[in-house]
Amino acid sequence: MICYNCGCRLSEHDFCTGCGADVSIYKKIMYISNRFYNDGLEKAGVRDLTGALTSLRQSLKFNKNNIEARNLLGLVYFEMGEVVAALSEWVISKNLRPKKNIADDYIDMIQSNQARLDSINQTIKKYNQALLYCNQGSSDLAVIQLKKVLSLNPKLIRAHQLLALLYINGEEWEKARKELNKCIQIDTNNTTTMRYLKEVENMLIPEEGVKAASKKKSQSKDAVTYQSGNETIIQPLNMKESKGVSTFVNMGIGIVIGIAIACFLILPARIQAAKSTINDELRVVSEQLDAKTATIDEMEQQVNNLTEETAKLQEDLDGYVGTDGALQATDKLLLASGAYLKNAADIVTVSEYLDQIDLESLGTSASESFTALYDTLTGLIGPELAKTYFDEGYNDYRQEKYASAIPKLAKAYQYDQTNGDALYYLANCYRRNGNVDKAKEAYAKVIELFPGTKKASESGTYLAEINNGN
Amino acid sequence: MINFEEELKKFHLSLEVEDAEEAIYNQDLTDMADIFVKMIKDIEEHETTVQSKPKNHNAMSRMEEE
Repeated sequence: MICYNCGCRLSEHDFCTGCGADVSIYKKIMYISNRFYNDGLEKAGVRDLTGALTSLRQSLKFNKNNIEARNLLGLVYFEMGEVVAALSEWVISKNLRPKKNIADDYIDMIQSNQARLDSINQTIKKYNQALLYCNQGSSDLAVIQLKKVLSLNPKLIRAHQLLALLYINGEEWEKARKELNKCIQIDTNNTTTMRYLKEVENMLIPEEGVKAASKKKSQSKDAVTYQSGNETIIQPLNMKESKGVSTFVNMGIGIVIGIAIACFLILPARIQAAKSTINDELRVVSEQLDAKTATIDEMEQQVNNLTEETAKLQEDLDGYVGTDGALQATDKLLLASGAYLKNAADIVTVSEYLDQIDLESLGTSASESFTALYDTLTGLIGPELAKTYFDEGYNDYRQEKYASAIPKLAKAYQYDQTNGDALYYLANCYRRNGNVDKAKEAYAKVIELFPGTKKASESGTYLAEINNGN
Repeated sequence: MINFEEELKKFHLSLEVEDAEEAIYNQDLTDMADIFVKMIKDIEEHETTVQSKPKNHNAMSRMEEE
């Protein structure tokens, strides 16, 4: 304590040892201020925040420089949710004692967190808005706003009280009591809270008003309050801590809820995403398939075209083969001619070449010169060749070697078509060899080409026999 | 019985953070110690005035006697 006159530190005497000024009354003022501070500290210790507030204000009225009292007043305001008032007290405290002041830490604590400061400001604005709604008679809107305020700042006693008042006005006594009980948990001895609570309890159960006091006492015994440094710790006695079994049960419930959330919320989204992916892939594959199908159709069309072209070429080739055959026949005819010119008596060699020419297969493709040469050559060697073949064939016929006789007699008739005997015997060979159709054909030709001859009459007889035999 | 209208009048608008500075400046910080010091100073001044007044009075009476 220092002298108000000279600033000298005061002793136990009632005067200043520096200037001699009478400081007895001044000392009493300081003592009273300290006394109020102690009272406020005690009340704050038992959560009588309203009482503490009154005492600390009194303390500061006696001594504005009581920094501890001012800092504690700020803390009490803060605990009651009045953050701006708390900040104001701490700022003044900081101005009065710039160094070694805990208010500095409190201010830093609030100002360092901008989000929290914004939240506090929002809370105040919403509270003011709720109060305006109340004055305008919009109780419902006020209740909504106050609920928002309390969700942001659950310690704001004024908001709890105003909400309780609105509930009381709306005769929602239970809700009002709930709010007022919350107020009591923050500030145990608030006069307004007590008044409202008494009214509510009277309205709920008129007899309960008497019981409430005893109940409150028993509730106060349910907690142990003790001081740890500057903080007051209130520890409930009957609070049960969760034991092992309940912990496991809670964990089990949590796991079940987690699985349920996964099943009902996460899995459908995953499945939907997977389906979407599969659909995308399917669409891509379908597009590729369509493209390939189109390609296949095009290729098939090409194959058909090529097949047609191949068939056409094959026809052309067959034509060429025919030509080649003609050429081969020409070669054989030339060889036969050459052999004849070399040795006209060697009719066997000439006949071998001529036999290799298939006149029937040549058809109309044979040229006139080819036909002329063939006919000439056949005319030159034909009679002799026909005679040779006839002799051999007839010989075989006589020996009943019909199979061997047939080609020889056929050649004999081919080279000499005036030789009716050759044709007649050929027909007999066919008949006796069992080739009826050929036999009938040959007999018919004999009858046609050599009419009036014995061969023709016999051929008619055999032909009739064959026809009758069928 | 609580009168809602009357009770509502007891609730006041809260100071917003922007208004805190002005509120701090306007706060009357005069305490009992200030009043006491002022009273002491006023008393001292009064005593000084009172002590100077009898001297003048004596001088005046002497002048009258002459």
